Amino acid sequence: MPSTPTASTPAPPAPDRVEKGTSLGRDAWHRLRKNKLAMCSLWFLLAMVLTCYLLPFLPLIADPNKTYPDLKSLGPFTTGESVKGPSVFYSLGSDYLGRDIFSRILHGGRVSLTVGFLATSVSLTIGVLYGAIAGFVGGRTDAAMMRVVDILYALPFLIIVIILTTYFGNQLWLLFVCIGAVEWLTMARIVRGQVLSLKKQEFIEAAQSLGLGNAAIIFRHLIPNTVGTIIVYTTLTVPAVMRLEAILSFLGLGVQPPHASWGSLIKEGADRMISDPSLLVFPSLFFAATLFSLNFLGDGLRDALDPKTSKD
Amino acid sequence: MVPHRLLALTISALAVFSTACERTDRATRAARDKILLLGNGAEPKALDPHIVSSVGDANILRALFEGLVTYHPSDDSAHEPGVAKRWEANDNFTEWTFFLRDDARWSNGDSVTAHDFVYAYSRILHPEMGSPYASMLYFLKNGEAYSTGAVTDFSQVGVKAPDDHTLVCTLEDPSPYFPDVVKHTTWYPVHQATIEKFGSMTDQFTLWQRPGNHVGNGAFRLVDWRINTFVKVERNPHYWDAANVKPNGIVFFPIENNFTEERAFRGGLIHYTYVLAPSLIDWYRENRTEVLRSETYAGSYFFRCNVTREPMNNLFFRKALAAAIDRETIVRYVTMGGQQPAHGFTPPSDAGYQPPDVIRFDPAKARQYLAQAGYADGSDVPAFDLIVNTSEQHKAIAEAVQDMWKTHLGITRVSISNQEWKVFQQTILDLNYEVARAGWIGDYVDPTTFLHMWRTGDTNNQTGWSSPDYDRLLKKAAQLSDTQARYAMLYQAESILLEELPVIPLYWYTRVYAISPHIVNWNPLLLDNHPYKHIDIRLPGDNPDRPPYN
Repeated sequence: MPSTPTASTPAPPAPDRVEKGTSLGRDAWHRLRKNKLAMCSLWFLLAMVLTCYLLPFLPLIADPNKTYPDLKSLGPFTTGESVKGPSVFYSLGSDYLGRDIFSRILHGGRVSLTVGFLATSVSLTIGVLYGAIAGFVGGRTDAAMMRVVDILYALPFLIIVIILTTYFGNQLWLLFVCIGAVEWLTMARIVRGQVLSLKKQEFIEAAQSLGLGNAAIIFRHLIPNTVGTIIVYTTLTVPAVMRLEAILSFLGLGVQPPHASWGSLIKEGADRMISDPSLLVFPSLFFAATLFSLNFLGDGLRDALDPKTSKD
Repeated sequence: MVPHRLLALTISALAVFSTACERTDRATRAARDKILLLGNGAEPKALDPHIVSSVGDANILRALFEGLVTYHPSDDSAHEPGVAKRWEANDNFTEWTFFLRDDARWSNGDSVTAHDFVYAYSRILHPEMGSPYASMLYFLKNGEAYSTGAVTDFSQVGVKAPDDHTLVCTLEDPSPYFPDVVKHTTWYPVHQATIEKFGSMTDQFTLWQRPGNHVGNGAFRLVDWRINTFVKVERNPHYWDAANVKPNGIVFFPIENNFTEERAFRGGLIHYTYVLAPSLIDWYRENRTEVLRSETYAGSYFFRCNVTREPMNNLFFRKALAAAIDRETIVRYVTMGGQQPAHGFTPPSDAGYQPPDVIRFDPAKARQYLAQAGYADGSDVPAFDLIVNTSEQHKAIAEAVQDMWKTHLGITRVSISNQEWKVFQQTILDLNYEVARAGWIGDYVDPTTFLHMWRTGDTNNQTGWSSPDYDRLLKKAAQLSDTQARYAMLYQAESILLEELPVIPLYWYTRVYAISPHIVNWNPLLLDNHPYKHIDIRLPGDNPDRPPYN
């Protein structure tokens, strides 16, 4: 058996001056910072997330489920004297049971944002991996994997959710899993399509000829190149997921009363539109502002992250 | 000047267009055709009088069937002849003879005979039928015994048809108000040949209820039934009094969401809302007072407690829950329709019965009960569900009550879950709940319609509660012919009910709804059972003396 010849590789000559390399992320961050709209959106989202998650712990904010039926339907910036005793200040008015709208919006925001981000990351993880693998491996594996997606597409979403909730009981984590498990299908298709066109390109051939393993090719080369599309689709998924949550809550499968989410608050408000418009206006403003900034940020991120747009 | 003229032209065109639109909205077009468009709550469970038990379902059946005696358009205690043209009782009101009219017809043209009634009663009482409302027929001698299987021979049940047009009902106890009782849906006849064409007698959901197959004997017949969309009926040409039936047809819309229903009403899609959401009542009072109606309604809103389950099997715990509900606040600020906070179960009625005055809001007492129940404070109470059927109003009430229990008792682990109406009914029937919202509307004008249902084994009990003393008192009351003595006995029975609290009363209903001003003869009724044949629709400009249809 021939022994492996030991080859001593000569050390590379030390360069005089190393140009400091920049990473993909750093480049992207530089480009993103130039986009004012995207940066505003980013700060707004951060502020929103921090407010929703931290403020409810502060004593300034009222208990969102505390009812004062005799103080119902008050306007913004009013103080009501309840027969139950305390006088209550409502910064955004009170709802049909005298609960603080502002506090309910913040608490609802926690649910909506959590569902939005968690379910989206579930769908993102599954969808991107599944699509990239199917597209890269190709052939029969691809065909089989995509038929599975087709089959799952054909299953009625609501019925699956109902079956899962009857089996596992009505729990919030189930909501994340259910929504995530359904939303990944389109993501998988999109990523697969991208990968199919990318894998015939020269840089992949180069990577293969350099002896990179499949996993390395998928994670180092293919997925970063689909990032633009993924981000655009993700920013579309977050609102879709929040909307799904609202639908499920309405059917009694999601957030249970008296707890609220933005979806359920908007629904309650829409019902009482003629008698009590502020119940609709305030939650909708919060919801719309969040969705807008998600879209702007997504737009900015796509421009910033897509390696093909990096000219500098 | 040209632009101005153009502007004026556009505006007048728009004005004409918009008035044209207003005139031809669906409600107006239907009114012109004398079709009633009625909101009717939830999707009907069935169109079979032996299966249904809810008010909305009964509303549809009242159009499709007719009992021996029927409802008067403006007086709950008046008796209008239905299939029976006259009736008489023996001296102590235990045997009633109904003389049926010769010209009563099924919607397929067959004659309605006394045998159809006997068949119907043998069907609803049949143990295999499992009818949720069979207990209404326990008035009949041996009715309960047959229904529970103690008697297997139907000929021993107190209903006989000596000939085609005579029906004799022998009752368990004297019941002077029996003609009121037989107006109810459960006493309607059914068409034997049709039922048995699509399955055996005791099959519950067969195709006989579908449009095209359905046969009834009411003023209307079934044209179409689309799930979650509508139930459409038209005048029945074979009906004996067809010449005096005012509407040409009725469409019932199952709109579960109160707000959607109200928008449909405001948008001219329906003539009548089944309910009106509390938060809209004030708006209607200010802006559309001519369509708003608020009437006394013999009904009780309460929570059922499943006494077979933790923690509801604990009497003191139920008492604590009942005492911690501030009913005054609920009726004033949550339901807002002028409802009365309930201090007993049976609504006080003009007939003279006053329920015991024992249910009170008393937070201190409630905490004391909680301690007696063995809970130091509310946080050690096991988690339980409060289930409601899908409706914003029930949800709002549940949320308010949940917060009251939290404030006054410290109970934190109550979750509210809502269920669609059909699922909800089944859940209650299966005793698969801890606390459930419920409402009971009187079936006839007598307190027994609110008290009979809590007897042991009554099909509408659905709480698992049973009390031999209660049963005995009701039985004794039934044998008394003196009204005052009977009421006193019923009062004692109700006191037991309110002492043991398998149900937690909240308030006594008022009927609050919106109705198009074009609907004529829709009068306030305590039981809200409107006989549709008397309801007329008149648009402004219509000649009221116009001869009736056909």
